[in-house]
Amino acid sequence: MKKRVKINNRLTGGWAVLFYILTAVIFLLMFLPMWNVLVVSTSTALDSSQSGIKLWWNSFSLEGFKYVFEVTKMAVPFLNSLFVTTLGTVIQVILASLAGYVLIQRDLPFRGILSSFIMITMMIPGDLTLISVYQLNKQLNLLNSYQGLILNGLISGFSILMMRNYFETVPYSLAESARMDGAGELKIFLRVYLPVSLPGMATIFFMEYVARWNSIMLPATLITDESKYTLPLMLKQMILSVDSTSGTMAVPDNAIMAAIVVSTVPLLLIYIFAQRFLLEGIQMGAVKE
Amino acid sequence: MNGKLWQKVKRYRQIYILMIPVLIYFLVFSYYPLILGIVKSFQEVKLLGGSQFVGLANYMEIFQDSQYSQAFVNSLIVGCGTFVLQFVWGLLIAVLLNEIRTKVLKSFFQTVTYIPYLLSWSVVGGLWITILSPTGMVNGFLELLQGMDYSPIVFMSEESFARMIMIFTGAWKGAGYFAALFMAAIVGIDGSLYESARMDGATRIQQIFRITLPMIKPTMKVVTVLSVMGVLRNFDQIFVMMNAAISDKVKNLLVLIYEEGIIQFNVGTATAAATIVLIATLIITTIVKKLLRYEDIYD
Repeated sequence: MKKRVKINNRLTGGWAVLFYILTAVIFLLMFLPMWNVLVVSTSTALDSSQSGIKLWWNSFSLEGFKYVFEVTKMAVPFLNSLFVTTLGTVIQVILASLAGYVLIQRDLPFRGILSSFIMITMMIPGDLTLISVYQLNKQLNLLNSYQGLILNGLISGFSILMMRNYFETVPYSLAESARMDGAGELKIFLRVYLPVSLPGMATIFFMEYVARWNSIMLPATLITDESKYTLPLMLKQMILSVDSTSGTMAVPDNAIMAAIVVSTVPLLLIYIFAQRFLLEGIQMGAVKE
Repeated sequence: MNGKLWQKVKRYRQIYILMIPVLIYFLVFSYYPLILGIVKSFQEVKLLGGSQFVGLANYMEIFQDSQYSQAFVNSLIVGCGTFVLQFVWGLLIAVLLNEIRTKVLKSFFQTVTYIPYLLSWSVVGGLWITILSPTGMVNGFLELLQGMDYSPIVFMSEESFARMIMIFTGAWKGAGYFAALFMAAIVGIDGSLYESARMDGATRIQQIFRITLPMIKPTMKVVTVLSVMGVLRNFDQIFVMMNAAISDKVKNLLVLIYEEGIIQFNVGTATAAATIVLIATLIITTIVKKLLRYEDIYD
C-alpha cells in the first residue's frame, strides 16, 4: 500500500514526457530572450549588428556599457531614478504607517468618514485622470521637477490599508494600557505598533520601489526636460532613435542591451533580497480586489 | 457638537494632526483631478484662453471619431488576447512548478518565469524590439531553419504581426505573475485531499485535473476580474512598442488619450474619452463579476 502511494505522487508514462517537454519549452521561451540580452550587452558593437542567434559570445567586450555611460550619459537618468524612487518610497511608507495607525483607533470620532475618504481614492484610477493630473502639476509648477516626480503617487489607499491590517494584529489593550500610563501617541506608535509591523512596511517598501522604478506614464506626462529624465524615459528614447532611423542604426544593439542590463540590476537585487515580501505583496494586491 | 464628542476629539487631537498631510494629499492629487477631469469633459477650451461649457458635445465627438473606435477595438483585441494567453501560460507554469520536486530547480524555474514581471515596459519593450529586429535572435533562428538565402523579416513594422507581437510580449511579461498567484493557491490546498485520492488509486494526472485545478477556481476568478479591470487601461506597453508603421493596429485608448490630451491639447475630448473608459471599465467589471458569481468566493 505504502509503495503505491509513493508512485502515484509523480507523473508517469506519456504524461511525464509531456511534462518534461512543456517545462523545457516554457523555460527556453522565458530564459533565452534574457540570456540574449546578457550576451549582446557584453559583445562588441560589430558582433551585435551581425545577424545570428547570438546566444554565445564571439568576443567578450564591455564597450556597450562604456557607450551608455559616455555617449548616452546614462548616469544622469540612473541617478534621477534612484533619487526620486528612494525618497518617494520612504515617504510613502512613513505616511502609510501614520494613516494606517489612525484608522485602527477604535473610539476615534469620525473614523468611518476618514476610512471612506481613503477607500474611495482606491477606486479613482490614476491613469484615467492623467490629463487633469497634468494640469494640476502645471498649476502647481511641478512640471519638469523632482518634486513633481516624488509628489505624484506619494501615498496610496492600498498601502494605508495594508498597514492598517498589520496594525490590527496588535491587541488593542496593549495600546490602551500604555495610554493609561500616560504615554504619548507617538511613543505608543513607535514602541508598541512599529516593531510588529516591520514585515508589512518592508512589503510596501519593495512593492512601491519596483512600481516607481518602472513607472513610465507619469514621468512621460510630467517631464520633457532631458536632464530630469528617469530610466524608463531614457530607454524609450534610446529604442526610438533606432526605430525611426531604421537602417542607419543610431545606437548599437549592444548599447541598448547594456542599458537594459543597467536598469534591471537594482530590481534583480531587490528580488534576491526581498523575494518573500514581493510575493506576499502581490498576493495581498490580488485579495484586495 | 455636544460636549462629550468634543472631549473625545480633543483627546485624539494628536492623531488628527498625523492624518492632515494624508488628507491634503488625497484632496489635491486624487479628488481634485477626478472632479477637474469630469468638469473639463463638458467644456471646450477657447484659443484665447478661458473655457466654456458645451454640454455633451465632446462625448458626441468621440462616438463619431473613427480614431477612438479604432483605438477601442485595438484595446479590446490586444487586451483580451493577452489575458487569455497569459492565463493559460501562467496556469501551465504553476502546474509544472508544482511537479518539480528538486527544490533548487523549482526556485530557479520560478525566478526565471517571474523576472519579466518585475521589469518595466521600457526594458521588456526594448528587449523584444531588439530581439525581433532584422539582425535579432528571432530572425537568427529563422535563418538557421531556412538556410542561406533567407531575407530577414522586419517584425516591428509589419502590420500583420503587430497585434500578435503585443499579445505575445504582454503574456511573456505577465505569465509569471499569474503563476505566482496560482502557486499560492495550490500551496494552500489541503494535502489530505491528495492522500485520500492516492488511496483510491488516482494517478497523478487525475489528481491534477480533479483536485488541483478545481481547488484553485476562486483564484482563477480573482485573476480574471483583476485582468478585466485593466483590459482597457494598458498604456506602458503600447507607448513603448508602438511605431508609425503599426499604430493603426495597436494604438489603444490610453495612448490615444495621452496623445490627444497632453501633446495635442484637445483637453475636452481627451477627458471625455477618459471618463468613458472609466465608465466602460466599471460596466465590464460588473458584468464579468456577475457572470463569474464573484461574490460567492468570499462566502
